[in-house]
Amino acid sequence: MLLNRDDWYETSRDLDWTFSYVDPNEVFPASWSGAGDVPADAWQDWEEPFRVSYRDYVRIQREKEGGVKAVGNALSRAGVFEKLDPAHLASAHLHLGGTCMVEQMAITMQSRFCRFAPTPKWRNLGVFGMLDETRHAQLDLRFAHELLKVDPRFDWTLKAFHTNEWGIRAVKAFFDDIMLNADCVEAALAVSLTVEHGFTNMQFVALAADAMAAGDINWSNLLSSIQTDEARHAQQGFPTLAVLMEHDPERAQQAIDVAFWRSTRLFQTLTGPAMDYYTPLEQRKMSFKEFMLEWIVNHHERILEDYGLKKPWYWDDFLRSLETAHHSMHLGMWWYRPTLFFKPNAGVSPAEREWLREKYPTWERDFGYIWDQIIANVQAGDVPATLPETLPVLCNVTHLPIGGACAPHELAEHKSEYKGKVYRFDSHISKWCFDVDPERYADHPTVVDRFLAGDIQPMDLPGALAWMGITPDVMGDDVYDYAWAREYVNA
Amino acid sequence: MALFPVTGRYIGDHIPHLVAADTDDTMDELAAMVARHSVGKKVPVPPGGPVYDVYIGGRRIDPGVTLGALGLSPMAWVDVVPRGAEAP
Repeated sequence: MLLNRDDWYETSRDLDWTFSYVDPNEVFPASWSGAGDVPADAWQDWEEPFRVSYRDYVRIQREKEGGVKAVGNALSRAGVFEKLDPAHLASAHLHLGGTCMVEQMAITMQSRFCRFAPTPKWRNLGVFGMLDETRHAQLDLRFAHELLKVDPRFDWTLKAFHTNEWGIRAVKAFFDDIMLNADCVEAALAVSLTVEHGFTNMQFVALAADAMAAGDINWSNLLSSIQTDEARHAQQGFPTLAVLMEHDPERAQQAIDVAFWRSTRLFQTLTGPAMDYYTPLEQRKMSFKEFMLEWIVNHHERILEDYGLKKPWYWDDFLRSLETAHHSMHLGMWWYRPTLFFKPNAGVSPAEREWLREKYPTWERDFGYIWDQIIANVQAGDVPATLPETLPVLCNVTHLPIGGACAPHELAEHKSEYKGKVYRFDSHISKWCFDVDPERYADHPTVVDRFLAGDIQPMDLPGALAWMGITPDVMGDDVYDYAWAREYVNA
Repeated sequence: MALFPVTGRYIGDHIPHLVAADTDDTMDELAAMVARHSVGKKVPVPPGGPVYDVYIGGRRIDPGVTLGALGLSPMAWVDVVPRGAEAP
C-alpha cells in the first residue's frame, strides 16, 4: 500500500543522522552554517510553511515553464518587442544586466544552504531554492538571447558582471558579500528575508505591472513567473529569524538593519528610476515611493515587528530618502549616461514633471532647478554642457555616488578612519554600516579608489569608460534625443 | 607641486566631484576647478559672476592660500560657494 504524502513527508524532509566518529562542528563549521551560539536543539523549531515535495515541485515548475515558453513564442512571432516604447526598454536592459548574474550567484548561496544549513528541513528547502535560481538565471538568458538580434544591449545580461561598469560593481559588491561570502544564517537574513521577501516584491511585482501596461507581455510574464518562486524560497528567512530572535536577537537586528539599508540603496538605483522615469507616463501604475510604502512599510516591516524585531534605528531617515534618493540617483545616472549600457529617459518633460510634483511634493525644490539648467543648455544647443568631465565620488559601503542618497541641500560629508585610511560614505547610515563591521568593506576599492591608485589608464573619462567595458554600440545616451527638453520652448 | 585630488562640492549641485587639483593651486584656482563641473551646467551662474569662496570644515579659507599649505589628506571635502554667499 502506498503511503499518503502526509505519512512520509516529515520523515523525508527531516531525515538526519547523529554523527558518531566525526565532530559535528567539522561537518557543519560555524563559519559556514552561521549557527554561532545558537544551541543545536534550537534548530528543531525551524519550520517553513510550503512543505514542498520534489514531485510537487517538478509538476508545478513544469507548468510554469510551459506557460512562459508559450507566451514568449507567441509574442516573438507577433513582433511585439519591436513596437515597445524605447524608454521602457531601459528598464529591461537595467534589470537583466543588474540581476541575471545575481540569480547565478544565488544558486551558490542556495547550494550552501543545501550543504551547511543547521537543520535538515532548511537543507531540503535549499534544494528547491537552488533549482529555482538556476531556472531564473536560465530564463533571463533565454529571454535576452532571443532579443539579441534586435538589440545588442541584451548581451549585457550575461556580460555585465564580467565588466567593471560602475553600477554593476555596486550591485556586485553587495551580493558578493551577502550571497557568496556570508554564512547560512546571515545569508538567510540578508537575502531570503530582506532582499527577497522585502524588496524583490518591488522589483518583480511592480516592474511586471509596468511592463504589462507598456505592452511588454513577455517580460511581464517572465517576471511574474520568477516572482512565484521567490515567494516560496524567501520563506527560508522567517524561521531563521524566529530562531535568532529566541537565542541571539541583537545579531538578527544588526544583520537586518545593515541589509535593509544596503538593499534600499540598490533599489533606489535600479527600481526607482525604472518606475518613475523610464516607464512611459500614461502606463505608470504607482510611484516608486507609493510602492515602497505599500510593500516595505505596510507589509514587510509589520511582519518583522511580529517577530519582535524593532524598526531600523534610521527609520525616519529611510522614509525621508524615499522622497529624494532615487531622484538624485536618476539625475546622476542620466548625467553620466555615457557610462551606462542602456539609454535612459530623462523623464522630465512638462507632463512628466507635473506627475513628479504631484507624487513628490519636494521634487521641484530639490531637483527642479538642476533640470532647468540642463534644459536651458539643451535648448541653447549646448549638449556637451550636459555631459560629465570627471568622476563622482563613491561611497565605500554602497559603491554608489555620494549625493545619491539625499536632496542637494541635505548633502554632507560622512567619513570614518580605519587602520590609517579615510573612508567616505553617502549617508550617516552607510557610515554606521561600515563602523559596526569595517573589515567587511575596507579592502573593496570603489571605481574612484581604483582610478586614484592608477589602475585605470589613461586617467581620464575615456580611460574610465574603456576600463568599464563600455563600447560605442551600447553606450548610453538620451533615449528621446532630448525631445522632452525642446517641449519647454512652447510650454 | 604635486597632484592632489579633492572631493569638490559646489553648493547646490547634488553630488560632489573628483577634482584633480595641485598642491600649488590657490583657493581661487581650486574654486574655479570645482565650479567648472557645476556652474552653468547643473546650477545657474551666480549673479556676481564666477568668483567663489572655498570652505573646508566649515571655515572660509583665504583665497590666496595654496592647497598644499593646508595640510589636508587627499580627497578632502571642499565646499565652494559664490563669493559672499552664506557659509555652507
